[in-house]
Amino acid sequence: MVTLALIRDTFREALARKIFWVLFGLSTLMILFFLFLLRIDIVEGATATVSLFGQHSRGNENVDRMVRGVYGGIATFLYSFGMFLAVFASAGLVPSVLEPGRIELLLSKPLSRTHLLLGRYLGNVLVVTLNTVYLVLGVWIILGVKTGIWSPVFFVAIATTTFIFAVLLAVVVLVGVTLESAAAATMITVALMIISPILAQTNLMMRLLSSEWSRNLWRTLYYVFPKVYELGKITLDAIQSGTFGGFTAIWTSALFGIAMLGRALWVFQRRDF
Amino acid sequence: MVEDVIRIYVLLSYDGRSHECLRHNVHAGNKHPAFLRILVRVNPVPADSEYAIQTQDLTKIYRTRWTGREVRAIDGVSLRVPKGTIFGLLGPNGAGKTTFVKTLLSAVRPNHGSALIFGRNASDPAARRPIGYLPENHRFPTYFTGAGMLDFYASLSGVSAAQRKKLIPEQLELVGLSQWGEMRIGKYSKGMLQRLGLAQALIHSPSILILDEPTDGVDPVGRREIREILGRCESQGVTIFVNSHLLAEIETLCREIAILHKGKVALSGKMQDLTAGKGYRLTVTKPSDALTEELRARATSLAVRDGMIDLQFSTRELVNAALDLLRAQHCEVESLMPTTSTLEEVFVRTVEKK
Repeated sequence: MVTLALIRDTFREALARKIFWVLFGLSTLMILFFLFLLRIDIVEGATATVSLFGQHSRGNENVDRMVRGVYGGIATFLYSFGMFLAVFASAGLVPSVLEPGRIELLLSKPLSRTHLLLGRYLGNVLVVTLNTVYLVLGVWIILGVKTGIWSPVFFVAIATTTFIFAVLLAVVVLVGVTLESAAAATMITVALMIISPILAQTNLMMRLLSSEWSRNLWRTLYYVFPKVYELGKITLDAIQSGTFGGFTAIWTSALFGIAMLGRALWVFQRRDF
Repeated sequence: MVEDVIRIYVLLSYDGRSHECLRHNVHAGNKHPAFLRILVRVNPVPADSEYAIQTQDLTKIYRTRWTGREVRAIDGVSLRVPKGTIFGLLGPNGAGKTTFVKTLLSAVRPNHGSALIFGRNASDPAARRPIGYLPENHRFPTYFTGAGMLDFYASLSGVSAAQRKKLIPEQLELVGLSQWGEMRIGKYSKGMLQRLGLAQALIHSPSILILDEPTDGVDPVGRREIREILGRCESQGVTIFVNSHLLAEIETLCREIAILHKGKVALSGKMQDLTAGKGYRLTVTKPSDALTEELRARATSLAVRDGMIDLQFSTRELVNAALDLLRAQHCEVESLMPTTSTLEEVFVRTVEKK
């Protein structure tokens, strides 16, 4: 009951913030786009014509390839802009709980600090997951109805997006409980997202870096930090070719998230309010 | 060896569950001497303590970030608040009142000493189950409606959905907000928020109310209503712990008080004992300004309210002389009564002496 109350409270607060409505609105726009503006005529398993804003183009592509391409586009949107918006929107949800006059009342209730912070964390993950499910499921149904292709592979995007958001949110929570600053939480988390594709160039950097210690440093950074870029790539590969690999990226990112969340709980347990 | 193992367990998981484990062992009849020694050390008072609040040598030291200079917010505070009483905590600004209250709620971790709520260590989440708390300068999330806010905090206190459905309208009615329950609290006035905060503190039928400036921002009628609510709580056996700057309010409400000064208990005891002392309070219709000034010179205190003045005199001779002056000008006497020392006098004496 207490966990549910904490999750509901996070939902209420998220809905009171306009940024979450922007996220939801963008997903709705995308669904409406596929619903009304994209017309696909299919003849014997290939797209006969694709109509967009009244412009027709003849297509002889395989429908399955086209649908997977759309899935990939949506997954890329979720991974880039969607993830940034989600981090930006979530950054204030932890510092707001720590505001003087609010935190004392929460701490006066018969629940542990761990329970309080994890309830908030879980609520925040669920808010973003719900939006991801809404977009993915909406597009999947529309494309399924229009093309007759009901490929469940698109749902990989829900799992990977939720997973990497949960990892990044652990950083947001740690910075939130340590510095109580939404701006700092956003900056640090976005920085992690930005350096991810740079760190992913490990093979290239091993050739370019001259000294052993710098190569070791690069490798360490690569393994320690969450692999946002690679998980995006894994998602795209899964959607477009049906192969799912790169488990190292998953477990190292998971370890990073667990370490961040554990540290956040440790800091939160020891703070005076 | 056994003692070491238990001690390590207690230190590692000092979050309440260890208490439950220890208590379970007691009920299960564990009489191992090492276990009993640990139990006494961790929780020196049994759960059925006669005190609602009991602190022993409670100390909180803050250190400045760069210089490391120590500030003792509370310094060895030992207090006992008996069950069912209304207890007032007083002190000048910076005396450590809020830090003391926060240690009771485990929002602040003491460096030394213990704080027990009905015999349970305050750091144990279960110890906070019987607490209803109204913070000073509360900041309730503005996205809530009044009813929604009560629902949320009652859920955290373990009130079931069925009970909440029944209790929320009752509590809103109790604090005079039944018309405003569905309105967002961002639109509430300060006084309305205070009433809602009180309803939040009461909704789970707590055994102890900890109130930080409970009538702050509330109009006089509202203050009287809050006092009546607290009076009803007292008659039901609820312990009330009030932290307030308003001495008159503490004097009206509380049976026992403690005055904190520079982080230490400067004075504590029953109100009637602490305010014992001779004096007379005279209430009359407001006389001319000239006579008011003359009376002010003779009285130890003078307060003007609603066309009346309250005068405090230290001796019978002085009050009789004042009566002669007032009657000569045909002023009407509302009341005259012997008084004890006012709480304000006790407070000022205590703080200035230290």
